[in-house]
Amino acid sequence: MLNKLRLERWTPAFFLAPAIILLIVFRYIPIVLGFEEALYTNSLSLAGARKFVGLNNFIAVFEDPVVWGSFKTTMVFSLVVNPLQVGLALLLAELINQRVPGIAVFRAIYLVPVAISMNVTAIAWGLALDPNYGLINGIIRTLGLPRQPFLQHPSQALWSIIGIISWIGVPYWSLFFLAGLQGISSDVLESAHVDGAGSLRTFISIKLPLLRRIIAFVLVSDTVVNFTLFAPIYLITRGGPQLSTHLVMYEAYRRGLVYGDIGIASAIISVLLIVVVVFVAVEFIVLRPRH
Amino acid sequence: MRLRKARRYILLYVLLIAIAIAIILPISWIVASSFTTRETVWKNVLPFSWRAFFPADFTLEGYQAIFEKDFGRALLNTFFLGAVTVVFGIAVGAMSGFAFARLKFRAKNFLFALVIFSFMIPGDLTIIPSFVLVRDLGWLSTWQGLIVPGLANGIIIFLFRQFFAEIPQDLIDAPRVDGATWLQVFTRIILPISKPALISAGVILFLGQWNNFFWPLLVAPDPELRVVQVAVSIIGIEQQVSLWEQMFASSTLAMLVPVLLILPFQRYYVGGILGSGLKG
Repeated sequence: MLNKLRLERWTPAFFLAPAIILLIVFRYIPIVLGFEEALYTNSLSLAGARKFVGLNNFIAVFEDPVVWGSFKTTMVFSLVVNPLQVGLALLLAELINQRVPGIAVFRAIYLVPVAISMNVTAIAWGLALDPNYGLINGIIRTLGLPRQPFLQHPSQALWSIIGIISWIGVPYWSLFFLAGLQGISSDVLESAHVDGAGSLRTFISIKLPLLRRIIAFVLVSDTVVNFTLFAPIYLITRGGPQLSTHLVMYEAYRRGLVYGDIGIASAIISVLLIVVVVFVAVEFIVLRPRH
Repeated sequence: MRLRKARRYILLYVLLIAIAIAIILPISWIVASSFTTRETVWKNVLPFSWRAFFPADFTLEGYQAIFEKDFGRALLNTFFLGAVTVVFGIAVGAMSGFAFARLKFRAKNFLFALVIFSFMIPGDLTIIPSFVLVRDLGWLSTWQGLIVPGLANGIIIFLFRQFFAEIPQDLIDAPRVDGATWLQVFTRIILPISKPALISAGVILFLGQWNNFFWPLLVAPDPELRVVQVAVSIIGIEQQVSLWEQMFASSTLAMLVPVLLILPFQRYYVGGILGSGLKG
C-alpha cells in the first residue's frame, strides 16, 4: 500500500512528461535558439565562419532596405487581409446561420476549402490567375473585358495573394463565428424581433457586440497566422514582381536557407516573434474573463 | 409580408449558390484538367467554355506521368507519417489532457499556460530555429525529424482536457475506491468513452500532417522521405517546362484525401478546432 502511494506521487509526471518535454524542446527552445542565433553571423556555412556579431543582425533588419521593406509590405498586407477576412467571415457565418432547407449541404460545401492545403490552393489559383492561359482571364476575356495581369503586376499581385488565401481563410474563420451565432440565446433575438428590429439592426446592435470576444480571438489568431504566410509566395511570386509580395516569412526563408545566413533570418523572426507576443498578450488581457 | 419573405428567401439562396459556385468551380476545373493532355489542357479555357469544368478528351496521361515520378511513394509516405502522428500525437495529447483535467499537481496553472501559449504562437513562426535544432540533433532527412517535433500539439492537449473535464466524477471514483491505478482508470474507463475526442484529435492531426508543407520542405526534401505537398510543389515549380496536366493531377490527389476525410467527420473536425478558440 505504501509502495503504491509512493508510485502514485509520480502519476502526474508520468502523464505529463511526454507532452511537456516535447513542447519545451520543440516549441520553446527554438524561440530561445532564435534569439541566440540572431547574435551570430552566417551560421549555416562552415563551422569556422560562425562569429558573434552582437546586435548587428537586428540593426540590419531595420537598415537593410529589402528586409525592412518586407516588414512594411507585411504590415500593409496584414492591415488589409485580416479585417477583410474577419468581416467576410462574419457575413458568411450570418448567411449559413439561416435556418433554411438545404443549409447543411451549403455548410458542407463551404468546409471543403478548409480541408485543402495552402500549397495546393496556391498552385491551383496561380494557374487560374495566369495572365496568358488562366481560367479567370479566360472568363474575363470571353465576357469582352481586358486581360488582367493579376500575379504578374506589382499593382495587383498582393491583392491576388490576399484573394487566394481568403478562399481558405474566410470559410475557416466563419466556423468560429457560426458557433458564436448559434450560442446566442433565442430569447434575446426574439425580444429584438418583438421590438421591431430588422435583420441588419439585430446583426449590428445585438449579435456583433455579443460576438466581440470571438471577433477579438479570430482577429488576433488570423493576424498571427498570416504573419507566417509562406507557401503562396514561395510557389507563385517568389516575392515579386518588384518585391510587391515580398512578405517577411519568405524573406527569412530566403536569407536563412537560400543564402545560408541563419543569423539575419533569426533576427527577422525574433522581431516578428516580439510583435506576435505583444499581440497575443493584448489578446489575453482583453479576453480575460471578468469575475 | 409573404412576398417580403419570399424575396428574402430568393436573395438568400442566390448568395448561398453563388458562394458555393466560387468554391466548387475552381475545384472542378482542377479535377477536369487533371484528365487532359498537355496539349488540350487549356482548350476550353480560352475561349472560355463551360466544358472547362468537366473532363473532356478523357486521358490518364498526367496521372501516369506523376506515378512514374514516384508520386505514389509520396502518397504512401504521407499516409505513414499521418498514421504515426495520429497514434503518438493522441497518446501524448490524451495523457497530458487527462492530467490537466483530473489530477492534482504543483505548477498546474503554469504548465497549462505553456500549453495555451504554444498554440497561440504558430509553429511556422519559429521554423528556422526549429530547423537549426533538428539539424543539430542530426535529424535532417529522417522520419523522426518529420514526426517528433509535431507530436505535442497544444490544440490537441486542450481538446482532451476539455473533454475529460466533463466526465462525471462517479465514473472515476468507483474504480479508484476499488484500488485501480490512474493508468488503469485512464485506459479502461476514460479512453473507451472518449470516442468523439479521439476522432476529433485524429482528424485534426492527420489533416495537419497531410497538408504540412513548410516543415517537410526544410527538413526532408529527399525523394525517399518526400511528402505529398512537397511532391506537388516540385511538380509545380521545379521544372523547365510547365507540366500542367501533372500539376493538375498531383493537386487533385493532394486535395482528394483531406476533402474525403473532412466531409464525413465534419462535426468532429469543427468541434475540435472550435474548442481551442471559444472556451479558451
